Amino acid sequence: MAMLNFEYKYRVRGGTLVGGDLFDFWVGPFFVGFFGVTTIFFSVIGTALIVYGAAIGPTWNVWRISIAPPDLSYGLGFAPMREGGLWQWITFCAIGAFVSWDLRMIEIARKLGMGLHAPIAFAGAILAYVTLEVIRPLLLGAWGNGFPYGIISHLDWVSNVGYQHLQFHYNPAHMIAITFFFTTTLILAMHGGVILSALNPGEGEVVKPGGFEDSFFRDLIVYSIGPLGIHRLGWFCAINAGVWSAICIVLSGPFWTRGWPEWWNWWLNLPIWGG
Amino acid sequence: MFDYRTNFGVEYQNIFNRIQIRGPADEGAPLKWGQENRRGKPRFSFLFGLIGAAQVGPFYLGATGLASIVCGFIAFEIIGLNMLASVGWDPIQFIRQLPWLGLEPPAPAWGLHIPPLAEGGWWLMAGFFLTTAILLWWVRVYRRARALGLGTHVAWAFASAIWLYLVDGFIRPVLMGSWGEAVPFGIFPHLDWTASLSIRYGNLFYDPFHMLSIVFLYGSTLLFAMHGGTILAVGRYWGEREVEMSIDRSTAAERAGLFWRWVMGFNASYESIHRWAYWFAILCTLTGGIGILLTGTVVDNWYLWGVKHGFAPMYPPVYPPIPDPGPLRGVLR
Amino acid sequence: MIGDILVAPFRLVGLLLSGVFKGIYGHPWRTAFSIGGCVGGVLLVLLAMTFNFFPVVSIQRGFRGVGMLVQYNPRSVAREAGYQQIIAAYPPVQPAGVPAEIAYKNIQVLKGVDANEFLRLMATMANWLQPSVGCAFCHSAVNMAEDRVYTKTVARKMIEMTRYINTNWRAHVGAGGVVCNTCHRGAAVPGSIWFMTPPPGGRHNFAQTQSGENSPSTVAGLTALPNDPFTPFLLNAAPIRDQGTTALPDGNRMSTEQTNWTYSLMIHFAQSLGVSCNYCHNTRAFGEWDQSTPKRLVAWTAIEMVRDINRGYMVPLTDVFPVASRGPIGDVPKINCGTCHAGAYKPFYGASTLAAYPELEGSPDTPAHERVSVGGQRQAAIGQPSPHAAIDATPAAATSTAAGNTAVADTR
Repeated sequence: MAMLNFEYKYRVRGGTLVGGDLFDFWVGPFFVGFFGVTTIFFSVIGTALIVYGAAIGPTWNVWRISIAPPDLSYGLGFAPMREGGLWQWITFCAIGAFVSWDLRMIEIARKLGMGLHAPIAFAGAILAYVTLEVIRPLLLGAWGNGFPYGIISHLDWVSNVGYQHLQFHYNPAHMIAITFFFTTTLILAMHGGVILSALNPGEGEVVKPGGFEDSFFRDLIVYSIGPLGIHRLGWFCAINAGVWSAICIVLSGPFWTRGWPEWWNWWLNLPIWGG
Repeated sequence: MFDYRTNFGVEYQNIFNRIQIRGPADEGAPLKWGQENRRGKPRFSFLFGLIGAAQVGPFYLGATGLASIVCGFIAFEIIGLNMLASVGWDPIQFIRQLPWLGLEPPAPAWGLHIPPLAEGGWWLMAGFFLTTAILLWWVRVYRRARALGLGTHVAWAFASAIWLYLVDGFIRPVLMGSWGEAVPFGIFPHLDWTASLSIRYGNLFYDPFHMLSIVFLYGSTLLFAMHGGTILAVGRYWGEREVEMSIDRSTAAERAGLFWRWVMGFNASYESIHRWAYWFAILCTLTGGIGILLTGTVVDNWYLWGVKHGFAPMYPPVYPPIPDPGPLRGVLR
Repeated sequence: MIGDILVAPFRLVGLLLSGVFKGIYGHPWRTAFSIGGCVGGVLLVLLAMTFNFFPVVSIQRGFRGVGMLVQYNPRSVAREAGYQQIIAAYPPVQPAGVPAEIAYKNIQVLKGVDANEFLRLMATMANWLQPSVGCAFCHSAVNMAEDRVYTKTVARKMIEMTRYINTNWRAHVGAGGVVCNTCHRGAAVPGSIWFMTPPPGGRHNFAQTQSGENSPSTVAGLTALPNDPFTPFLLNAAPIRDQGTTALPDGNRMSTEQTNWTYSLMIHFAQSLGVSCNYCHNTRAFGEWDQSTPKRLVAWTAIEMVRDINRGYMVPLTDVFPVASRGPIGDVPKINCGTCHAGAYKPFYGASTLAAYPELEGSPDTPAHERVSVGGQRQAAIGQPSPHAAIDATPAAATSTAAGNTAVADTR
């Protein structure tokens, strides 16, 4: 049903991690798999909990809906549903859904005889989420340290946690993460642009083979990383953006309670400066 | 083929190049003009060759590129020497305090007048030379593409980034009537400017174009994680040959497309993924520039703008209401 | 055979060394990466030593999930506990029955205080300020009544200032008030004082004039923010607020650059009190009072108070201080938040010995019997115009003394 014209030959059995052939089928274009079932389970329940949280809240305005974690006073225990328990269950469902999705990606990659690079990258992002909502609150001793589920309210959380450290831009891991984000965007623009420029060379020109991309970048900036290398570099920078974000936030609080500018004191006091 | 599984216990994961072959250097595709400006003897780097191509060079250096480098160097020297002066020309203190050092734009009191060198004139000069260098570099990017018979997509993406740079350093200060609104040169100083801008204008998180810019920033990162991962995953089928695959699809492109189709119900093609990538990256700086441009000129307090347009969440009060004591004193500040 | 055994260790070492060199020669990249890895590991360990480790104490300052917290590392707090330890008051003494100005000469400020109580206060002050030197820090040993040593004149002014704060600035210092020890803490010069910075000189010739920022600022927590936010904000009455009060532009002319100065002052606030911005603010809207905590109001009174006492008590002492004790441009040492708070949200975490020293409250001419202990109302003292009102002409300070600060509710 609605298959691409070359798809039939790829729809073979195999590649599953759990469940064998039981869930090895497609619904429309979607592959199901055991983890497709668990994904549906967690996402439906989680979404329902979010909608319920909105319903018991003061607003249906999609920007203002916010489901907040418990007060710090609940520590690492379970809070009543209306006092943050909802947030806890939603977090549990979210992690279940994300991990299920990732494992489903692994099953699909295995079925197609592909490497696992895409699910690995997604695991980096899941690590960032789990760091923010589980690991850091655990280290700080209270679930209330997680960010709320709300489009604008989660930004208020970011602002306040940032200013807890007076000037969060001075967090060195934050600087590294931002550098990876900006670099990823830069090289994405360069890579997307150069491929399109080879395939769409303009009036009166023919499509250019790969050597032209190499020449373009060598002419421009002395070095061309090449068609395989750019994907390694992009994959690497993108994953690092997520990983260093996780590092920068787990440092803030459990490993540093002062202002981040003050951390740089060790540099100013190095003995090599003499005097 | 070398049997990784038997020898290493795990398959080759397409992260590093296991074998590097050295052959004659690639002298580059033919140029429509300026062949004589292609310079440098190509060298090979083992380190680079572990990840990507080992060859470094030749490069192209024409008049535009040279002018750009010269202007950039002048700007670099103006900034650096002023920083060195600010620590009393002490080279050790220069390195020690380098992250903190900066070159400030003119004070707000100068408006858009050209101040003396010591009162912000150096910043203006450095900014002028840096802008010239960047614009000349843009011309270089454009011409290099044309000389090879390629489309000019990379140049137009670069233009989006230049848009943000110009908004921050030139267009918005002019609209605000004050060079002092522009970004100082310096590692920590430009971060302080970022925080102060957000504080002054009522929290930039509430600026909808700032939100869009972040969406495209994170989206670009997501896309490159997806696309990079996908191409590496089909490396065993020569998936990195993207131009060839776009016009003559083979199994790498088919598997890559089907992967995403089966994961999320739809997929891009080998060419169209690069359009997704291209536009997400461009829109990051494009919307970001708009967001900064509107700050201070059209909106003075983004939080209050959010309250006004009904999207600022209101939290249950924890404290009794606190009146503003300023009016009680007769002064608002 | 013996020779073989003796030589064997050297042969072994030689074998090892040649093996190592062969390894390095044969696998230069592997060796380079290994050495790089070891060096990197050492650097990583050194880096980890720059951090402090959980467990951490967090105090919620707002609605749950908003992120308004103040965090402390208990080990850091414990390290500073000694500095926040208040010196216990001396035991009370039997009244002599004679006021100090009868028993001793040259009593100007402490008139009406019982002579024995007076001596008790003097002994305490010596302990609070210079325990190692004692009375001689202010008094000439030959003639205790003489004003020969400049510190005696300063101390007199300080007593007046202490009384003034405890009487007129209850809105900020509350019932606990301040005593000499609050600022001095066993040292003649309090840990946190400030001087004005020299104006930018021409010594850099034509290079950019320094505007007081873009170097590591100990005042502003090691940011590159301005190094002296005190002169405009805690001495003069420059406007601190920069945010507008309307969504669309409505004449707010504050610049991003000026915000740097406010930011620097605010970081000083946070560091002096050992708190973060969330102690007073919901940072999503710094300027909005309906998003702030009651502590912001307390801090607002602090700004008014510090301006008041800097101009009214410190600046008039400029010529009393010797040049060596003044700042680079010859100005007197002045007060900021850290002077009293010294890193705690309340000095001594709220402990107070003011009740044991009633002579440090009330105006100079409040009769002794009206100096009731802390908690009582002294209608005669509240609202008294400050002695410096004639000196200071800024509107903020003048209105603050006139209104007397009782309009602001005590929100502690």
